[in-house]
Amino acid sequence: MVIKGNIKGRRVSSRELEAQIQRAVAEGHYRLTIKADGQHGIGGRIWPRGRKVRITVDGPVGQRLGSMGMEGTEIVVRGSASDDVGWINCGAEITVLGDVTNGAHNAGAQGVLYVQGGGGARCDTMTKFNPRFEPLQSWYFRDVGDSFAEFKAGGIAVVCGVEPRNPKNILGYRPCVGMVGGTIYFRGPVEGYSENDVRLLEMSEQDWQWLTENIVPYLKAIDRMEYLDELTRSPDDWRKLIAYTPAEKAARQPLKMSTVEFRRQVWEPEVGEGGIFGEYLDHDRTLLPYITTGEDRRFRPAWNNNKYLPPCASACPSRIPSHERTSLIRQGKLEEALELVLRYSPFPATVCGQVCPNLCMDACTRGVVLDQPLDIQRLGRLSLDIPAPEKAKPTGRRVAVIGGGPGGMSAAWQLALKGHEVDLYEATDRLGGKIEWCIPRSRLPQEVLAKEIERFRSLGIDVHLETRVDRKLFDRIYREHEMVIIATGAHEARMLRFPGWEDVIPGIDFLKSINLGLGPEYDFTGKKVAVIGAGNVGMDIACQAFDLGAESVTAVDIQPPASFGKEQEMARERGTEILWPKVTSKFDHERGRLHFEDGSAIDADEVIISIGDVPVLDFLPPGINTERGHITVSENGQTTDVKVFAVGDATRPGLITDAIGQGRTAAEAVHATMMDYDVAPELKQVIPYERIRAAYYESEPRDGFEPEQEANRCMSCGLCRDCGMCEVTCYYDAISRVEGEDGSFAYVVDDDLCIGCGFCAGTCPCGVWEMEENI
Amino acid sequence: MEPAERVDQNYELSLKEFPYIVRWRDDRCTRCGRCTAVCPVSAIEPTVQVQRTVTSEGTAPKPAAQRRLVHVVRQVRDIDRYCTGCGTCTLVCPNTAIEPEYNPQHKFLFHKNRGGAAYRRGGRRNDPQPSTVDQLKFVRISMLTDPALDAGRHEFRIRTYLGRNLPAEKLPLEVKRGRLARDEEAFIPPVREIYPIRIGSMSVGALSPHMWEGLAMGVAYLNEVEGMPVVMCTGEGGIPPRLLKSRFAKYFILQIASGYFGWDEIVHAIPEMTEDPAGIEIKYGQGAKPGDGGLLMAYKVLKLIARIRGVPEYVDLASPPTHQTKYSIEEAIAKMIQSMSMAWGFRVPVYPKISGTTTAQAVLNNAVRNPYAAALCIDGEDGGTGAAYNVSMDKMGHPIASNIRDCYLDLVKQGKQNELPLIAAGGMGKNGSLAANAAAMIMLGASAVDSGKYIMQATAQCFGDEYNRCNLCNTGRCPRGITTQDPRLYRRLDPDMVAERLVEVFKAADMELRKIFAPMGRSTELPIGMSDGLGCANREIAERLKIKHVV
Repeated sequence: MVIKGNIKGRRVSSRELEAQIQRAVAEGHYRLTIKADGQHGIGGRIWPRGRKVRITVDGPVGQRLGSMGMEGTEIVVRGSASDDVGWINCGAEITVLGDVTNGAHNAGAQGVLYVQGGGGARCDTMTKFNPRFEPLQSWYFRDVGDSFAEFKAGGIAVVCGVEPRNPKNILGYRPCVGMVGGTIYFRGPVEGYSENDVRLLEMSEQDWQWLTENIVPYLKAIDRMEYLDELTRSPDDWRKLIAYTPAEKAARQPLKMSTVEFRRQVWEPEVGEGGIFGEYLDHDRTLLPYITTGEDRRFRPAWNNNKYLPPCASACPSRIPSHERTSLIRQGKLEEALELVLRYSPFPATVCGQVCPNLCMDACTRGVVLDQPLDIQRLGRLSLDIPAPEKAKPTGRRVAVIGGGPGGMSAAWQLALKGHEVDLYEATDRLGGKIEWCIPRSRLPQEVLAKEIERFRSLGIDVHLETRVDRKLFDRIYREHEMVIIATGAHEARMLRFPGWEDVIPGIDFLKSINLGLGPEYDFTGKKVAVIGAGNVGMDIACQAFDLGAESVTAVDIQPPASFGKEQEMARERGTEILWPKVTSKFDHERGRLHFEDGSAIDADEVIISIGDVPVLDFLPPGINTERGHITVSENGQTTDVKVFAVGDATRPGLITDAIGQGRTAAEAVHATMMDYDVAPELKQVIPYERIRAAYYESEPRDGFEPEQEANRCMSCGLCRDCGMCEVTCYYDAISRVEGEDGSFAYVVDDDLCIGCGFCAGTCPCGVWEMEENI
Repeated sequence: MEPAERVDQNYELSLKEFPYIVRWRDDRCTRCGRCTAVCPVSAIEPTVQVQRTVTSEGTAPKPAAQRRLVHVVRQVRDIDRYCTGCGTCTLVCPNTAIEPEYNPQHKFLFHKNRGGAAYRRGGRRNDPQPSTVDQLKFVRISMLTDPALDAGRHEFRIRTYLGRNLPAEKLPLEVKRGRLARDEEAFIPPVREIYPIRIGSMSVGALSPHMWEGLAMGVAYLNEVEGMPVVMCTGEGGIPPRLLKSRFAKYFILQIASGYFGWDEIVHAIPEMTEDPAGIEIKYGQGAKPGDGGLLMAYKVLKLIARIRGVPEYVDLASPPTHQTKYSIEEAIAKMIQSMSMAWGFRVPVYPKISGTTTAQAVLNNAVRNPYAAALCIDGEDGGTGAAYNVSMDKMGHPIASNIRDCYLDLVKQGKQNELPLIAAGGMGKNGSLAANAAAMIMLGASAVDSGKYIMQATAQCFGDEYNRCNLCNTGRCPRGITTQDPRLYRRLDPDMVAERLVEVFKAADMELRKIFAPMGRSTELPIGMSDGLGCANREIAERLKIKHVV
């Protein structure tokens, strides 16, 4: 049957032609000849009817010939065809006796396309694979155009390469982009293909067998059997392209060349060994992990045992190392502990144990951050019966100390312990100075002081009592001794010259007269007593006034009372009233009234003044400077005469413990000067409270007093307790304890194990471990 | 007063004031100390803690207290050791026991001025919101034709020009005896064909040697192995002489800034150079810190830096905010461009870089009139830096989008839009969309974009972000080894990995650019100024930028 696409010059529309073909087939026609006139989609969609439908097409063919062609349909185009021949071919056998243009077999799935000529661009793109059917075949006799087989997923394409239009490249520009399946056999040269997607292989035996079998019907269909020999001459003339599998693609390295190779093969050969910075870097060119050891750590731990002063020793003007004392007690060395204190003060029982305000205890970490401070006062008393430490070998040097009070005795004690000979000059008939004269007996049992003075004298110091030093004697002493330490104290009361001042009793004279029985005897029975100056001495005076029968005692001051601690506590208990700010303007002894500048007045039968004492320095030679009535001294007590040192109240008013500390410091400076070595100044800083891990200790009420218990309560600030916490804490076993032959110990770090995490420092109970920059 | 200060919390800040709160899990921690060993600012420390429980056993109340002390990791409440949220602790923790958590209620800036010192840092503007550029979309999509461009299967040539493109009629060419001849005496501006995403200026010194070399090597790889002509600007601080004398020098833009660091070494090396550099950037301003000069702290000036910059070791290296001895825009532009052009015989494109500013058009007009100006680079407010005052970063500067747009439209008015390229910088890739930001800027009128911070984040896992995470670049304690001169830190960073990541970043960005440009039908020339393809849901932005308002 012949179906015409053009009837008498009128072109039949694609819709009408399609309807005629479908009708003809439905009516049982199975041989159709179509005289086409550019109609679209000729020959497709003819579903199998048990007998092959053969369609021959003449004339100009429209696009998509044989599209959606079915199995059982045979189409022969007698001439060339237009675009998209065999689009979504589902089984039709299409023969084109000429060329096909763009997109032949685009999205084809089954069936066969035989092309007698060549293909246009984008042929065999998007072809499919369906395991239910035989694979698609596309045969091109000459060559194909650009973008061949893009996204090809199945089927076999054969390009025979006979008389190609482009003799250098029979597969066109960039074939096989996105191809994931199917096979392309080709014969002839190519200029590249999508290497990302496909690989080029030689023909296998199976390939060759398939090709040589299937080429015969192809050549017959396109009437080119004469080429059979040439085309099947050798498998070496042919090659094939197949797609990489997804697994192969995934296994592929993302970069064409690793950057390591690039460095070695391209970069360093051009810029030089070690890279562009090679000439400046002297470290290893290897990489470091985040966690490093040894010199690559950012921080390293340091076992800074006893590097800092604990708050107690720092607060103590005598610098008594209570932390070392408790450490020795914890080690079971009680005797040593008690003797240790004697190396800092000849008066541990008298001063620490009785009269000192114990600044150490105020500062004690335990008291500040947890419960009560260590009872350092009672610890001090324990040293009462300890004999003097052994003296060093005699040095043959002779030093003079002028003044037998706490400062002078401290200096003499230290010098004697160091093996020097000491002449101690005291104006009165006894040693002790203000401790002896001015401290109310109620606060200081006499036997305690006596015992400590006895121990002092056991060192063999030449004590010259009742030897008041005047200018003449001073000059002699100066001549006869290598060094001189002045510790004459301050023994003249400061007076205020308000009207009636002549009737005021100087406080120091008052105290001396009571303790030593010197001067007038006082009887305050029923009297109202006023004390000008509410410092600690004022408080002592108040207590003594009550002892002498006073009815009431009022202490006045121009500023908040400077008294504190036991002194104020005792005075207030006795009933002392403290008034401030009060500036005395007049004392009317007759009427018993003390007037103040603010116009007020109080009843006062007797007035005692205690606003400080001034030294008597009439013996000083002109070479020793004074300032405001006190001897000018440097940090370590040296006066303006290098041979002369001065300590205690003669230099500035202070506590007894200040005088003891200054005596020791001056003695050390004197010793250093004589023995000709540099005195190392005390540079230790106090350890901050935060460094002490108080959380280790539980607050507990103190039960009685046992030295061992106190020693355990001590937080050992800055001094290793030897608890081994660091050793256990260290995750890397980098810390270990080593013991010296003398029984000393230390904790050491293995730098090759330590990562510098700081757990040792963060958890050390005593604040001994510190992290330092690892430079 | 002393005891209270010593023992109480009276003077301490609460953790809620801090920008990051360290979540530490007691039950997971093994006390291995890795976190405290690596914390760059010692914001966490090991310490001890008492735990007390009271129990009652039996059939009647019978209290029993148990007390135990445990070792813990604690966050420090010292503002100078604030947790920056870098997360190095989390990185090294074997048990996922520790992690910093952002605290949106923090009052960091209320307190980070101790000692009267204004807060300084690295990074960029702490504004995590999407930038204007991030809000732009590509709304012109061609899809019905074949060949429409397909990013996957078509070949793209994504290139731009650095240098002044003279129109044909202005080129000194004439036809002599039927052949095109060039007037050899006349000046033809040098032009480089480069990749439109450049690596913005980050100096040797700001970056560690491993980071800088990694980037440099990656750039060479991209050029020589991948065939992508990516260029990188050296930043101010010289260039290693070995690189300058190598053939790779042609992939680098040398920067000269107001400190003139490293230039004597460069001038000495010119006769030994085998290749001209890709360009010379004259830095007048930086988007991250407009009006402020550079500063390299003394502790970063080690031997390497000192040699390359030509200064003594361990001194602070300040670049003044402005170039000295220039008293007008004209003079500043003319003098510097002439000098720098002369150094390489007018064979190298020379262009100014300024920070985003309302005065950008004034600079642009000067550049347009200056025949030797090769481009204008504008660095917007979202640019990054190694060190700046927080106030400069957070509060100063001009957004890049409208700045570039205005400049481009100015060029259009003068008919010069194809002649003088504009380069946009500052916040490119801020939220991870490098290619999209680049494409948007290109379509607003830029010929190329610069990216620095994104490159650091993507190639070296820089922790920094706009929640002020890490941003320790100025301290020399970069936990990633990117911005430090301490070998113990920068040896954590593998230059080969940086190079590899750079290659990957550019390959991926290239694919994304194709994906954006393909539906616009652009595969050979960039859609510079093709603003009809851009849209924005925000009306103000759309109107201001003269692009489509789409909702």
